[in-house]
Amino acid sequence: MKESSKNIYRRDAVTGVILILIAAILPFVFPTRYVVGQMTVFFIWATVVSQWNLVFGVAGIFSLAQMAIFAMGGYVTGMLGLYLDWSLWVSMFFGGFAAVIFSAVIGIACLRLRGAYAALLTLAISQTMYLLIITDTACFFRQGVTCRNFTGGTRGLARFGDFGFREILPYKYMAFGDYFLALVVLIFAVAFSVFVIRSPIGLAFQALRDNSNCAVARGISRFKYQLLVFSASAFFTGVAGAVYAGHFRVMGANILYLNLLLFLLSMLIIGGVGRIWGPLLGAAALMLVDEVLKEFVEWRLAGLGAILVLFVVLWPKGLAGIVDVLATKFRRNRNQTVDIKSG
Amino acid sequence: MDGWIQILVSGLTVGAMYAVSSVSLSLVWGALNVLNMGQGAMLAAGGYIAYTAVMSFNLPIPLAIVVAVIVGALIGGLMYFLIIRFMVGKEGFETNVIVATFGFALVLENLVLRLYGAYPLRQPIGLEGGWYIGATHVPYQNLLLVVVSGALMIVVAYLLKTTRMGRSIRATAQNRQATELMGIRISWVFLQVLLIGGGLAAISGIMLSTLTTLSPTMGYDPMLKAFIICVIAGLGNIYGALIAAFVLGLFEVSIQFIFGVRFGFPALLVLVILALVWRPYGVFGKRKTERL
Repeated sequence: MKESSKNIYRRDAVTGVILILIAAILPFVFPTRYVVGQMTVFFIWATVVSQWNLVFGVAGIFSLAQMAIFAMGGYVTGMLGLYLDWSLWVSMFFGGFAAVIFSAVIGIACLRLRGAYAALLTLAISQTMYLLIITDTACFFRQGVTCRNFTGGTRGLARFGDFGFREILPYKYMAFGDYFLALVVLIFAVAFSVFVIRSPIGLAFQALRDNSNCAVARGISRFKYQLLVFSASAFFTGVAGAVYAGHFRVMGANILYLNLLLFLLSMLIIGGVGRIWGPLLGAAALMLVDEVLKEFVEWRLAGLGAILVLFVVLWPKGLAGIVDVLATKFRRNRNQTVDIKSG
Repeated sequence: MDGWIQILVSGLTVGAMYAVSSVSLSLVWGALNVLNMGQGAMLAAGGYIAYTAVMSFNLPIPLAIVVAVIVGALIGGLMYFLIIRFMVGKEGFETNVIVATFGFALVLENLVLRLYGAYPLRQPIGLEGGWYIGATHVPYQNLLLVVVSGALMIVVAYLLKTTRMGRSIRATAQNRQATELMGIRISWVFLQVLLIGGGLAAISGIMLSTLTTLSPTMGYDPMLKAFIICVIAGLGNIYGALIAAFVLGLFEVSIQFIFGVRFGFPALLVLVILALVWRPYGVFGKRKTERL
């Protein structure tokens, strides 16, 4: 028995409002710079993962180019700030658009491919971008006697300013600006993903997944919808990159490390692929685990690795899947089953 | 002229290294549909084990290599018993296993880091000297790598072509269900493939470390290149991977020689995109007919 769609919307809305309230109150309860800073980073990663979820979990494109798209957003934002003196508030959107165009180009090259082929090609694109940035030594402009290159090379792109919260906000609340900016971006990104998953586009993908021949025969074009989702989701990924650049006031090629990419992929898988709240759960869980493992610096990688393995082996449906099981048990007396796609 | 000989020598050497690694990946993908993200760490582990065998246990070099191969194979086997055994046949296997093997790689990398530290070490295995073709210096080391790689490929081809084990591996790669129905124990095939894959990864790691240095993350870049080679060849196509490894090795070195080192990898990427636009399932790959 399926829940009525009205019910589902109400539950999405209620969950969303509760989470937003918690996020809004949190910095006032724990106003230390460290907590606020880590939460800001969490919002940025959660944005990336929520959009990755659309690309991978909903549209079924196994893309590993998400961090390349993120980097594109960040770098374009930083370059506009550095070379044209634009305010980050403006260049942020151009970073997003640049990410969309970049993503559409990748999409056209990759969407014909299936599964692992798409994964490996997008991974190669990401690695190429990394290598081109770190080997960039050509002189682009002179700053006094030192010569600076176009992308910042191994030193990273810096000196493009930030979002200007330092000047406006009192010292105690300085870090709150980036925090709420990242939160707003995350809210928009999650709203967009809810919209896509519940909209006809989401239904089209469900149809393509359940019976692709039948769906194609009914006139649903996989390529069109995939390209649409792939490009549109890139906007928020790119803007997240811009927020990252503004928050840290530097953009470096380390953002393209394979380890970070796979760390974020793990957030998605551990949270629950294709689910609305899964990516948030996964991002929160792994950020927490990472925080705990910071105590054991020497074995941090191994601890993370072991947890990943355990999770994927024991709970392949992720945290959202566990929540489902619990919810089903809880509601059994009401004789209601949970729709698979509703969490 | 000298330039071309230089390109040929380096290209073949690089190709020989890629070949061993790519064949290992391709074998594992073909039989298990596992995209092994642990390959990079396994390469590093192989190199370090050979290092320990020579430096700490004073084993003669051939024996050290054998030890490294055995331990490498055991690492592959460990991966089967700890991870893959539990995951085969579950929903979302292909993607989940990427995360799982990545987790495995992290543990392995951390272990190497704790045991040996992050500073690059020099691999004691290797030949000194070389001879001259015209004005070009050809180190014996490079020749040895090409010969070893060639010999290994012949052994792998022989195993796959003629032995009972090879037949069951190929059968599994073609049609897992039918193979099981023919009474072949599929879990045993999986284990065998991972053992062979692990052994090959160890050899590839040793070869790699003789040309550069040992470091815990030394395997990432070669792993990515091996992935690209497998994609161009068609995932799971072992002979295709072998040819593609040498062709791409020569291609990469030529590009680096002519346009500069930084364009080697980007050129490979352009090549792989062109190849995939031309044939979406790899140059030697065949499109699998989907059953309804």
